[in-house]
Amino acid sequence: MPRNGKALRITLVVAAAALLGVVAVAAASAAGAKSSATTLTGAGSSLVAPAVSGVWGPAYSSAHGVNVNYSSIGSGKGIAAITARTVDFGASDAPLTQPQGAACNGCVQVPWALAGTGPVENIPGINGLQLKLTGAVLAKIYLGQITNWDDPAIKALNKGLNLPNKSITVVHRSDGSGDTYVFTDYLSKISKTWATKVGKATTVNWPTGIGGNGNAGVSAQVNSTPGSIGYVSTFYVVQNHLHMVRMLNRAGHYVYPSVKSIESAARALKKVPSKTAGISITDPPKTKKYANAWVMATFTYIIVPANSAKGADLRSFIDWALEPAQQQSIQRLIFAPLPKLVVNAAKQRVKQIQ
Amino acid sequence: MSTYDATGNATRRPFSGRRVRPGDLILQVVAGLAALGSVVLVGLIAYKVIEGSRLSLSTFGLSFLTTTTWDPVHNQFGAASLIFGTVVTSIGALILATPLALGVALFLTELAPSWIRGPVTALVETLAAVPSVVIGLWGIIVLGPVLRDDVMPKLHSGLGFIPIFGPSSTGATIFTAIVVLTIMILPIISSISRELFLGVPSELKEAALGLGTTRWEMVRGVIFPYARGGIAAAMILGLGRALGEAIAVAQVIGAFNGPIHANFFGPGNTLAAWIATEFSNAAGLELSSLFYCALILLVFSLLVNLLAQWIVRRVAKKQGLAQ
Repeated sequence: MPRNGKALRITLVVAAAALLGVVAVAAASAAGAKSSATTLTGAGSSLVAPAVSGVWGPAYSSAHGVNVNYSSIGSGKGIAAITARTVDFGASDAPLTQPQGAACNGCVQVPWALAGTGPVENIPGINGLQLKLTGAVLAKIYLGQITNWDDPAIKALNKGLNLPNKSITVVHRSDGSGDTYVFTDYLSKISKTWATKVGKATTVNWPTGIGGNGNAGVSAQVNSTPGSIGYVSTFYVVQNHLHMVRMLNRAGHYVYPSVKSIESAARALKKVPSKTAGISITDPPKTKKYANAWVMATFTYIIVPANSAKGADLRSFIDWALEPAQQQSIQRLIFAPLPKLVVNAAKQRVKQIQ
Repeated sequence: MSTYDATGNATRRPFSGRRVRPGDLILQVVAGLAALGSVVLVGLIAYKVIEGSRLSLSTFGLSFLTTTTWDPVHNQFGAASLIFGTVVTSIGALILATPLALGVALFLTELAPSWIRGPVTALVETLAAVPSVVIGLWGIIVLGPVLRDDVMPKLHSGLGFIPIFGPSSTGATIFTAIVVLTIMILPIISSISRELFLGVPSELKEAALGLGTTRWEMVRGVIFPYARGGIAAAMILGLGRALGEAIAVAQVIGAFNGPIHANFFGPGNTLAAWIATEFSNAAGLELSSLFYCALILLVFSLLVNLLAQWIVRRVAKKQGLAQ
């Protein structure tokens, strides 16, 4: 017993010391933050997080003395945070829905980066970029209507490929994600059944399949499940050398996601809605010039209040991020540079910020 | 020696008959505040959860408990398949873990040579310290494929006539979650049971062995009855852990919110896992529905705790009568 008592006392003392330490550090960091120059706090999309907190944030702080603190908490929570005005800006891969826009009360959403999502497969005996699919077939797979890899509809697109008699395991994101938004936005354009039954959102009611948490969760499930198909951010596909699927675009080409094909999808855009609406570039129109346009490309948005105390700082930060140099600097993260048309429209929107 | 106040009455203090020393007073205030603080905290959490779920409660009412759709696009939410997944994974893990844990505890207290006991005890307790996210990762990469390729097909071909052993195509299944939870609650049940078994008076054990019982008869006749209440409490603790485990389950269960199916070799979902997965993305009615899920989980935990207290008290009463 006495030894226990002593141990308990030591534990208590250590715990108290640790608590004091934590409080001291928190107080010090709070004081530090206050004493420094302007800080822009932002939160939201995890897709854009490597660009904002990894590349742009540090560069902007050393060039302009304004710190950018970005928390990668997910698009949905980013929208909630900017609606509650607990941050200076939010970031989302999915554009604001009508009710979200109304709730956000005069928020301006500006496209500021361009990325994409791509399907990946794990079929025994099939290598990356060998499998070819159309949007219609992909929709049927995710609706649970095509359930085997030797289905005639898949075979017809892949003559010469030895597709096994193996059931398809559909993998999707279990957490809400911009990737899911792009993926379901594309399928909604392709398939009427999909549009009415499932729809497009950052989380949907999946008719079939298993969920993986994050890009890492999906790719782990796909990698460990022969016969599976999933979708992940292009950054993640390229980094991890996953087996990409080629998709048929409207121009009649089988394409795969890359900086070039994503950029083409954005360039195929002829008109940008002027106000603050979202811009969908999935399933891009048929053009001769951008025949290799990727079918699941997306803009990701920064969302800021039209009126705020830091309006001027936010304006200069977004204008800076839209400059060609900044757009180039995130290419290694598989973000394509915004085309001029979109940059101009974005700059128009920035002017609304006071 | 007692102290007297100005009117000459003996002061009524907790340690009456002794002079009130500042140390005692401080102890009483600090301990009282700590106790009060935890009560207030539980109250505030419950209040916040109920307040958060109000929108969903008024929209769906009790039908939330019986429908299985989770559809943010059409704003339809129901938690039936989450509740089902929570119950079957927790109970399943408890059924698998309890005999294993009792075996481990018996081995460590009665059967193992003494030089083995220390290291094995330490290792089993280390298992409890492995972060759940690590177990979950191992569950995806190692356990899931092994279960899918070797265990589930065999169980299906042998016992496939029972619906829970259905066909399997992935490693992300209800069964995988059960096995992961089993691993996580095993050390809890085994280390408590070990302490209980150590507490069985050696006179009783020796008397039983002296009467010529086998070791198993001694375990069954002396150790188990003696430790019964404690084992039940340990199981309930394990159950509580299994009910609330979010991350590891979210990684291996496959996040399938669709219609309830009996096949344990298919994907499913649990309340805790789904709250952890979806919370960062939800807003409006969906967020409120997640709070509703949290409320259900809170009620479950409360019931489990009450059950544990009831069992322990009942067993204690019985033992009191017997002795």
